[in-house]
Parts: sequence; structure tokens; C-alpha cells
Amino acid sequence: MVDNKKRLYWILQISVWGAYAGIQIVSSILASGQAISFKRTAFFISEAALFFLATHLFRLYLKRRNWLRLRVPKLIPRVLLASGLMGVIVYVLRIPISLITGRATVIETAFSFDQIAGFSAIYMLFFFLWATFYFMYHFIERYNKSLKYEAYMTSIELNNLKSQLNPHFIFNALNSIRALVDENPQKSKQAINQLSNILRNSLTFEKKGLTKFEDELKIVKDYLSLESVRFEERLKTDFNIHPQSANFRVPPLMIQTLVENGVKHGISKLTAGGVIHLKTVVENNRLKIQIRNSGQLVNGARKGKGIGIANTIQRLKLLYGDQASFRMVNENNNFVLTEIVIPQTVVTT
Amino acid sequence: MKALIVDDERLARKELMKLLEEHPSIEVVGEAANADEAITMVNDLNPDLLFLDIQMPGKTGFQLLEELDAVPLVVFTTAYDEFALKAFEVSALDYLLKPIQAERLSETVSKILERERNKVSVARGEGEKKLGLNDQVFVKDGERCWFVSLSNIRLFESDGNYIKVYFDTNRPMIHKSLNALDEKLDERAFFRASRKHIINLSWVEGIEPWFNGGLMVKLRGGDKVEVSRRQAARFKDMMSL
Repeated sequence: MVDNKKRLYWILQISVWGAYAGIQIVSSILASGQAISFKRTAFFISEAALFFLATHLFRLYLKRRNWLRLRVPKLIPRVLLASGLMGVIVYVLRIPISLITGRATVIETAFSFDQIAGFSAIYMLFFFLWATFYFMYHFIERYNKSLKYEAYMTSIELNNLKSQLNPHFIFNALNSIRALVDENPQKSKQAINQLSNILRNSLTFEKKGLTKFEDELKIVKDYLSLESVRFEERLKTDFNIHPQSANFRVPPLMIQTLVENGVKHGISKLTAGGVIHLKTVVENNRLKIQIRNSGQLVNGARKGKGIGIANTIQRLKLLYGDQASFRMVNENNNFVLTEIVIPQTVVTT
Repeated sequence: MKALIVDDERLARKELMKLLEEHPSIEVVGEAANADEAITMVNDLNPDLLFLDIQMPGKTGFQLLEELDAVPLVVFTTAYDEFALKAFEVSALDYLLKPIQAERLSETVSKILERERNKVSVARGEGEKKLGLNDQVFVKDGERCWFVSLSNIRLFESDGNYIKVYFDTNRPMIHKSLNALDEKLDERAFFRASRKHIINLSWVEGIEPWFNGGLMVKLRGGDKVEVSRRQAARFKDMMSL
């Protein structure tokens, strides 16, 4: 990508200024109707080389000063000034060349105000056109990129909605709560709060931010406690949280999604039920989160399905680059282990 | 009517029981927490009606139905299951979405009672556990499923380890042996024509003599089935006064 852009720059730069020299030479032949002198040819080529050099140095300068990040109102006066300056400089540099190649015979005429102003203005126009083209190219490219990025984020968001607002879970939970109203009103009130907690979090969840580990843990506990209402003795839970976990921030609803996955594909498929075990370990400034659920990954069957898993991997990559890791394996004949390891800070790009 | 509730969640069963208290015509005779329990209870209690959850650990509601010989009336109860609802475009009796609404349940119950009333008009072989024309079976072929009344099935044809079931324009396969099926069917309604075929006698349209003392039976709809020589004599006995 970068190499392609570099190559494109060189191709354009050489061909544009090459064409400039070529057109000058050809039109001079056509105008005079006779063969062009060596000196004249040399003059046109040197002139084009000057433009080439000037624009190239200008590019290095604007890159160093980050002009590409400037807003248009700030950029326009700068580009005008730079073009004018380059126009004058190139004109001045052209004087010795035209003397050597015998274009200007008298040195005084070269420094007359009319000459300086006239030529500088023309050169300034060239440079301004060059700059316009250069910045336009970058603006369009950046615009395309941001469109792509937005589309990408939207698709992630949609997938998240799909996987997180799991209707099966919500309706089953509501159904259990309905029955609980008669059986245990106190517990049913608590369950309603837990459900609204989860719903609120699903709805307000921001795709880019991070949330405190403890907040996420609370959601996970709410979620599991709701599922316990439904599965009763079939769902057992076990927490083993490293005290330093509280120093970490985690992607919101990520642990919850993985735990829900474990319930959906593990516990709910087992007649006798099983255990969800959440464990965290902090070592070397990294937080390791391990979710174990009773059950087995069926070979291959899960690969196509896991929209939640695909999302998790995508989100980790977006937030942490290659600093985070994810794996999901059959730990033994009874348990599936899902593990994410995240660093303490987000990688900034 | 005797009803059996099949759901893996205790609270879901309890909630349905509570809702059914409003409907004295439905008597809940049992609750099953999984498919295997349900199969035993269906065989022991002989319910007229199943309230059946689709997603259960172990076997799903569909697998449960496939294992039953005769299926009672079935009302599916599900929280959210687009696949199930799609599967029943073909022959839905009814389904209830959880949490179940009382009014919706009332509609379902009156639908069931309506159906049951129509059924009583046909005589039933009391006490017998054989499958008669009044019974229905559950047939699933890939994604599609049907509740088919045996009176609509004109022919069973054995095909390897499977039986092809002929009704309307469908011929789904079920995984069963023809011998096992033959034992369960009421012999006054169904006849074993040959090693390969069982025919529904009420669909017989014409009979012609065939080679070697066999018979060729023509069924309504155009299917022709050969009756082997050995069975032909029995067939004549049955069909004659």
C-alpha cells in the first residue's frame, strides 16, 4: 500500500515535469519552424528539473509540518504563500541557468520588477496547481478510508446487537420471572433489576470505550444469577477473581458474551447441567481471563457459527493490536476453556 | 383431556400449570423435564395433548416426537425459535410463545377442544394401543415436518432401513422397519400387502388378479401395489363378507 503510493508519486512527478519540458521544447520548435539549439533544450530541461526539485522539497516540508492534517481554511493561505515563495525562488535560481544557456543576454532585464513579478506569478500558479492536485488526492483518499472504517464499525455494531440482545435469553428470563412472581416475589423483583441492568448495558454499550473490570464483573454476575433462576440447580457458578483485576479496564460486555456462550452451548445442552467457572489472573501487567464451562466443542461445528467469537477476536484486535490474545479449546473431556489475555493499556494508533 | 407438559425448566412448567388452572377441560396428568422422561410418560399415561418445549438438553422436542409411535395433539411452547416456526408452516397445530399470554392460551385451548370434538364422532378402538385411522404420526424429513393423520396415509413402502410415507404429494422417509410398524398398525385399517408394502384399506379403489395368484391393488390417487400370493388369500378373506 505504502510502496504503491510512493511509486505513484514518483511516476506522476517525473511524467508531469517531463511532459512540461517536452511541451516547451516541441512548442518552441513549432513556433520557430526550425531545429532547436542544444542550449535551448538544456534550458527547458533544467527548468523542469528545478520545478521537480522545488515541488519535491515542498512535499518533504509539508509532510514534516503535517500540513495534510490541517483544515482547509488554515491550509489555503499557507499553500498560497508557499507557492509564491517557491515562484520567486525558482525564478531567482533560473537566472544563472538562463545566463549560461544564453536566454537572457542582459543581467539587468532579469532583475526588472516586471520580469520578476510576471514569471514568479506564472510559476506560483504552477506550484499552486501542483499543491491543489496533491492535497485533493489525499483528501479523497482519506475520505474513502473513513467511509470504509465507518462501514466496518457499523457492521461490528450490528453484529454486537445481534449477538448481545439475545432474544432467546430475554424471553426465557421473562418467562421464569413471571413464574417467580408467585413463588418468590422478593427474588422476582431482584431478577427484574438484574434483567434491566443487562438490557441497559446492552443498549448503551459503546463499541470503542473500555469499562472497569468490576463493572463488567457485576454484569456477568447479574447475567449468571438470572440464568440460575431459569436453570436452577442445573447451573452452578464459581468465581476466582485475582484482587489486582480491579486495576484493569476491559472491553464492555466481552466477558459477558463469552460466559453467555458457555451457558448457551454448554450448560443448556446438558440434561444434568454443569458449572461456569470464571477465573482471572494478573501477571506481568497482563490480565488473563479464563472462562470454563461444562461441555465440549464439537469439532468444526462451532467454527462457522460463532458470531460472538468472531466479534470478540475482531474487537480485541481493534483495541489492542497483537497485544491481546484469545483461545477456545476443549480443556479436557468435561470442560471447554475460553481464555483472553489483555494488556493494561490500549494501543493507540 | 389429559395433557402432559414437557419443558426442561421447572419454572416454565409451573407457569404453564398455573395458566392451565383456568381451563378445567385440560387436565395436566404429568410433567416431564426432558425427552426421555416424556417418552416414558406418554407411553404410561397416554395423554391426548402435549405442551412441548422445542429446545431441551439431550433430545429436542422434534426428536422426541420422532421417537413416538402415535403422537398426541401437540402445542409447541418456545421462547424464540424462528426455525421451529418455519418448520410448521406446513402443518402447524399451534404454538405458544413464552412468556405465554392467558388470552392466547384460551384460543389455543378452544382450538384443541374443537378438534377433539370432531374426532370423537369416529369410533375408537377402546383399550387398544394399536394405531388406527384416528391417530396421527409425526414425520420429519430434513427441515420439513408434518403431523399426518393415518387416515391420510395411503401407503408405506420399505426402502432399506427407511420407510417412505405416501400422503398428499409428499413422500418423506422415516427411520423405522416395516415389520415394526406393521405390528403397531391396526390390522382392520392397514394391510401388509407384501414384504415391501403396507396399504391403507380405506384408500383401495380397485383390485385385479395378477400373476401367480397374486393381486394388483389400485389406490385412490393412482398408486398400484402388488399383493403377494401368500397375502392374497388373506386379503380376499378380509375383504369378503
